[in-house]
Amino acid sequence: MALSTLHNVRFAGMASCVPRRVISNLEDCPPSQRSERERLVRNIGIKTRRICPEWQCFSDLAFAATEKLLDALQWQRDEIDALIVVTQSPDYLIPSTAIILQDRLGLPHSTIAFDVNLGCSGYPFGLHLLGSMIAAGGIKKGLVLVGDKSATIMDPLFSDAGTATALEFDTSAPPMHFDLNSDGSGYKAIMLPVGGHREPYGVEHLIPTRDEHGFLRSASDLVLDGPAVLSFSTQRVPPAVERLLAYASVDKQQIDYFIFHQANRMINETIRKKLGLPLDKVPSTLPDFGNTSGASLPVTLTARLHERLSDGEAKLLLGGFGIGLSWGTAIVDVKKAVFPTMLEI
Amino acid sequence: MPSIDQFIESFLTAVDFQEAVEVTPDTELRSLPEWDSLAALGVIVMFDVDYGKTITGDDLKNCSTIADLYKLLG
Repeated sequence: MALSTLHNVRFAGMASCVPRRVISNLEDCPPSQRSERERLVRNIGIKTRRICPEWQCFSDLAFAATEKLLDALQWQRDEIDALIVVTQSPDYLIPSTAIILQDRLGLPHSTIAFDVNLGCSGYPFGLHLLGSMIAAGGIKKGLVLVGDKSATIMDPLFSDAGTATALEFDTSAPPMHFDLNSDGSGYKAIMLPVGGHREPYGVEHLIPTRDEHGFLRSASDLVLDGPAVLSFSTQRVPPAVERLLAYASVDKQQIDYFIFHQANRMINETIRKKLGLPLDKVPSTLPDFGNTSGASLPVTLTARLHERLSDGEAKLLLGGFGIGLSWGTAIVDVKKAVFPTMLEI
Repeated sequence: MPSIDQFIESFLTAVDFQEAVEVTPDTELRSLPEWDSLAALGVIVMFDVDYGKTITGDDLKNCSTIADLYKLLG
């Protein structure tokens, strides 16, 4: 069921929240020589990132984004039928962060709440999941909260963000089109290999060792196979975009903005060039917000397009891709939706 | 197929050397100061965008000289 269409689902609004704390890849991070850092920034396209203080969780950012969104929408708490949290940065391993947030947000006990374990690809999947529940008729209003706390000083890519998107049942809403895919043969390309049931934490995992480049690494660090992720992204995403456009009978020219997951400049520019898209139709938040994992689509919409989208209407093509491996695209018409400015806490 | 000189031009751009380096077909990749993970990504993108050729990280690991890289175009 790769390709599908949802009817009667309206995109009602979105809010995004990032931590106030800014770190600079040119000033604060390895490598030790400035010229090397400049080369790194030039190629990954990420100058500054946002990083949570120790005590702050992804859910704190998502909570603030949701409060702001509900205020802007003027939705009552007891109207919310579903709360889906798409994250790989839960408050605890168990229980689900969504259920904790149900209470914290003051949502009723009748709210369906659960987590979905997806990362950079997660936004189109979250939209489809909540949208499917709404299209089925039982759910009238719902929220999907997407994002991660994945920034570290050492890794120049990742940046923290939490976001909230509101969907509602509306028989006059234009259709939403989706193409969602998975390839588990690539699961080792991005992973935390230790801490689950295949490889539980042991004392041996606490001792960091030096890798081939001389960096200290511990078993709790993310493993990321750069060439494999680059190849996956640049080979899979462009044909997926073309496939969805053909399925929806939409020309590239009819799409106002193509919003892609913000991976790094090399990946994003390769995807853009392969699709032959002009720069002004492909907004980016890589320079100032880095790779915000699953939040990167809402962060980019909020940071770059909130004025444009608050005023009128636009046809958007959304593309997420990453850990899993997993990739998905969606065509969404946004009309008179609520788009508050970026929130910083 | 580009000439090896054209290929070396593309390679120099893709690796984004900070200071000018002399590169010939016999140059050992490991002898280049910037031959790192970032350079590998740049070269994979170069093969894809400039030459329409898909190569993997393992393909790169199996190359020791510029000439070996050039042969991947074949």
